Amino acid sequence: MLLIACPYCGPRAEIEFAYGGEAHIVRPGPDVTEAEWATFLYLRDNTKGVLAERWRHAHGCGRFFNALRDTRTDQFVETYEIGTPRPDARQGKAA
Amino acid sequence: MVEIAEGCVLTSVPATTRLVLQGRPAALAAAATALGLAAAPPMLRAATGPGGVALRMGPFELTVLPGGAGREALEAALAGLPHSLVDVSDRNVAFTLEGAHAADVLAALCPLDFALAAFPVGMATRTVLDKAGALIWRTAPQTFHIEVWRSFLPYLKDQIHEVARGMTFDLLAVQ
Amino acid sequence: MQKFSAFSLARQALGRHLGWQAQWRSVAPKSSYDIIIVGGGGHGLGAAYYLAKQHGLRNIAVVERGWLAGGNTARNTTIIRSNYLFEQSSSYYEHALKLWEGLSDELNYNVMFSQRGCLMVAHNVHDVQVFKRHVHANRLNGIDNEWLTPEQVKAFCPPLNISPTIRYPVLGGALQRRAGTARHDAVAWGYARGASDLGVDIIENCEVTGIDRDASGRVTGVQTTRGPIRARKVGVSAAGHSSVVMAMAGLRLPLQINPLQALVSEPVKPAFPCVVMSNTIHAYISQSDKGEMVIGAGTDSYVSYTQRGGLHIPAHTLEAICELVPDFRRLRMLRSWGGITDNTPDRSPITAKTSVPGLYVNCGWGTGGFKATPGAANLFAWTIARDEPHPINAPFTIERFREGTLIDEAAAAAVAH
Repeated sequence: MLLIACPYCGPRAEIEFAYGGEAHIVRPGPDVTEAEWATFLYLRDNTKGVLAERWRHAHGCGRFFNALRDTRTDQFVETYEIGTPRPDARQGKAA
Repeated sequence: MVEIAEGCVLTSVPATTRLVLQGRPAALAAAATALGLAAAPPMLRAATGPGGVALRMGPFELTVLPGGAGREALEAALAGLPHSLVDVSDRNVAFTLEGAHAADVLAALCPLDFALAAFPVGMATRTVLDKAGALIWRTAPQTFHIEVWRSFLPYLKDQIHEVARGMTFDLLAVQ
Repeated sequence: MQKFSAFSLARQALGRHLGWQAQWRSVAPKSSYDIIIVGGGGHGLGAAYYLAKQHGLRNIAVVERGWLAGGNTARNTTIIRSNYLFEQSSSYYEHALKLWEGLSDELNYNVMFSQRGCLMVAHNVHDVQVFKRHVHANRLNGIDNEWLTPEQVKAFCPPLNISPTIRYPVLGGALQRRAGTARHDAVAWGYARGASDLGVDIIENCEVTGIDRDASGRVTGVQTTRGPIRARKVGVSAAGHSSVVMAMAGLRLPLQINPLQALVSEPVKPAFPCVVMSNTIHAYISQSDKGEMVIGAGTDSYVSYTQRGGLHIPAHTLEAICELVPDFRRLRMLRSWGGITDNTPDRSPITAKTSVPGLYVNCGWGTGGFKATPGAANLFAWTIARDEPHPINAPFTIERFREGTLIDEAAAAAVAH
């Protein structure tokens, strides 16, 4: 089970969280093409390495936040607030 | 009040009013003032004022157990500020676990660390007790106030009794 | 290739079994092939076999990052069935099931295919309605599936608890009698042996690190940890690593990678006669020929390449199984493991050409690819050889996600995602 550092509540067990998938996926505007819409809905990187992803502390503070996690080891590099840009993973301690 | 194991007493808390307030810092500050507090409590902390108890469940969220004229004062203070105030009195039921082994019973159902240093008196958080979402508030070194959704209560009481029974066996075995 | 038969067994016994040859040739890569299959699991080895056997192609290589069938082929719970809801999928899975029925003869290799029946148990009104719909849809498509009452469920699988008072009571079940299990390693080894005999080069410990293309964008070969290899066509059958490999050609796929766990108990005498699946409590159980109860758990929620997951996932499954099959309460679990599954949004696979000329992909099998092994291999081979899909796999494109022609098999996939 993962130990996840909620930016608001501190480290908590994975069972308190809901996964939100890849982060920083921007919903396209009203003039979207079919291909752009399919990309937004369905296409994902599945990065093997440091992935930016969303979590929600569903059984805690209830907030969404972003995390950088290495999908090769499941080690969290860091967590950060929704709406803030992705920190440079290379400056993180596990990159 | 039931002594479910040596050193662990479960007591139902009478029905009371509970409000969930969501809002930005200004709304939370206004609520704190209305309850007679200097400021909204910090994350995962409870604060008790003349108007009731405020539990800081999230960065933009307080659970309020109003007392006296707290509710009226709260509603008046929030008027004009963007916020959401929801009465969840009927959704939640509360009980306390008290005694030397109360923390041990909770620890068997929850991955949080209930040592006093990690979960001090005055700390409150939502978490998972076995498979039910729950709010846990430590009101004294050996006392926990616990709130769960009404339909989960029979399940959770069963789980607590199951854990307590196992602990009793363990105590007997040691002796 | 040495044929397996009672006669050859007896003859080798006289020589103390020292005369058996290796079942496939282990070779170093040549500088160039007509076709390279990336991924040496059941699907990839099978595709190479059918390319050689049915399409007359000989200059083929299978490159595998680790060892043969060390990925999801070795990590699943070996359930085989074809009771999927939609016509497109049931014809795909039925194509596979028909190939399973003749596979041991086809390969001269005992894949231990056992049609012991697969019972999908319903625990609530929703389950009953969904499974009955599946039963009717399957029968309209000529695929066997029948509805059983709780008493009939109990008669077919006596260890099940059909008490109406348990948390998830058994309200009935959908039974596909032709469904069953097979021996996972044997399938891969049988295809590897057959392909090798037809001249296919099987290259292990050879990780693809790049896909080469010419100025027109056409595939010209692959870069590997054992050097560059030229090829006119490349078929990617890399399961959990599909996104990683396809990204080398600049393609993104409609996939999310998740760990999926399984576990086995200590071996016991024959006690469980069929495959039982339950979507609602999320369990699937069968007994292997070694006597172990083979149990599948749910997926972990997050993207991970670690081939492991959290203990709370199998624990949840086991709690439910202990109520559904009370006899199992005293079984000890022996081993658990995880695989990395490639899940599409509609839980249906992709077996298709791509927008890159000469590049083909067979992926998105998610939590249920083992059952399709011969069918997917067969149709992937067809697609690569003819540069166009077979009518059965024609709907299983990447483009369906843009066009909106999804094939939603979330209910039939039976794994909680």
